[in-house]
Amino acid sequence: MWGRTLQFLPEKNLREGLLPWVIGVMLFLCTLSLAGALAIGTGIENWSAGLTSNFSVQVVVKNLEERTKQTTAVLRLLKATPGIEDAKVLADAEIMALLAPWLGDMPLGAELPIPTLIEVRLSSTATVDTAALSERLIATAPGAQLDDHQIWMGQILELATVVQLLLAGVVVMVVLSTIAIVIFGCRAGLATHQESIEIMHLMGAEDKTISRAFDARYLAHGLKGGIFGVFLAAGVLWLLTNLAENMGQGLIQAGIPEASALLWLALLPLTASILTMLTARITVRKALLELM
Amino acid sequence: MISFENVGMRYGMGNEILTDIGFSLERKSFHFLVGPSGAGKTTLLKLLYLAHRPSRGLINFFGKDLATLERAALPRIRRRIGVVFQDFRLFDHLTAFENVALPLRLQGAKKAQVADHVEELLSWVGLEDRMHARPATLSGGEKQRVAIARAIINKPDLLVADEPTGNVDAEMSKRLMHLFVALNKEGTTTIVATHDETLVRSVGAPILRLEKGQISLEPGGKPIDPGA
Repeated sequence: MWGRTLQFLPEKNLREGLLPWVIGVMLFLCTLSLAGALAIGTGIENWSAGLTSNFSVQVVVKNLEERTKQTTAVLRLLKATPGIEDAKVLADAEIMALLAPWLGDMPLGAELPIPTLIEVRLSSTATVDTAALSERLIATAPGAQLDDHQIWMGQILELATVVQLLLAGVVVMVVLSTIAIVIFGCRAGLATHQESIEIMHLMGAEDKTISRAFDARYLAHGLKGGIFGVFLAAGVLWLLTNLAENMGQGLIQAGIPEASALLWLALLPLTASILTMLTARITVRKALLELM
Repeated sequence: MISFENVGMRYGMGNEILTDIGFSLERKSFHFLVGPSGAGKTTLLKLLYLAHRPSRGLINFFGKDLATLERAALPRIRRRIGVVFQDFRLFDHLTAFENVALPLRLQGAKKAQVADHVEELLSWVGLEDRMHARPATLSGGEKQRVAIARAIINKPDLLVADEPTGNVDAEMSKRLMHLFVALNKEGTTTIVATHDETLVRSVGAPILRLEKGQISLEPGGKPIDPGA
């Protein structure tokens, strides 16, 4: 295709000089938005996988003897329930470690009423009716409370979905803005080269011959801008990933996508250049139709 | 070869610039187009080199009615028409050689063939030493010779020149006119629009006179300049 391109436009055009940079900035924003949406998707997947395969039961009874009695009854019921692979009581030290981020380091035996916490692991293929199980637990041990994380998970999922939609909106707006910018750039280019285009037209150049000269030019603009924007975004993502890993927070770490999941980034400059070229082609062809 | 019948032309909703224009250009003929400024010469030439369609009337190009021709068919006809402008309209970033080569490259001619033809033609117009010069470094006369070479490199059936001597001195005007006459003798139908009555008399070709949008044909006289 490019072998047949008759390039009659001058190599440099000052009016188009900024176009690759603008496309680059747009691609930068687009890449970050897409990566953000992907991270949230990955996070939801990882959190869901962890939370749907287990739940916890608290036995909240002030009297120690009664609590031990109810804990034993709860454990017996849980282990007899089909689909439950394991149920174990967390040691006080483990519970204190879980509370440490909120309450700070406290010595064991401090006068803090801590409930007994039972961690329940489901077998991978099992589905357990947690509502029915909760009723049976309360009947067996009135101090038992089942927490299957549904309320918390529901809120997180809702928030994540809204953020994902917002990011998708940002991507759509960035793509539309890029198209508009290319159209403006192309029109400015057409105005600059109007006389050259008219001469080519009068010499018998077909529309496709003239528009190919713009195709090649705008493909190069899109590719240059795309590579710049994606490289910049890749650098920022790398920095953020390192920061998130160093923070060591499970919630944030769950959102870090695998490196292989980011390979699509490599396709963005190509997509940007093709989008830029097609936008330029349509704009030029429409303008040429106004000539006889 | 080319005929106009009752052709009228107006831009938008304005007055008619050309009214009931009728004439024909026979194969290998040479005509001058003369008339005062604002008479419609440039508009008529634009119709001749297919930059515009007429508002009314019939125009026949090489046996084809313009009204029935689809847009996609026009480039082929345009390639049979060479155009020379008063302001040259060369591509400033291309050399004389590259400017002249454009019409051949448009037709997909091979590189060697392009080189042979362009070098030969630039030598013929006396620019063998200026082939790789860019227009900015050429004189007005040299630019116009490059423009003429570009217009005729395809061996067009019709050559349209719009005030080709308007930006060159008297001596160069005579030399350019000799080129047009020589081309016509080689078989190219030629029409030259000019204000220069001396040049017109020097060639002695028939004159299409355009006044107030209407055209009349005056027969040619005896050339004054024996070289023409």
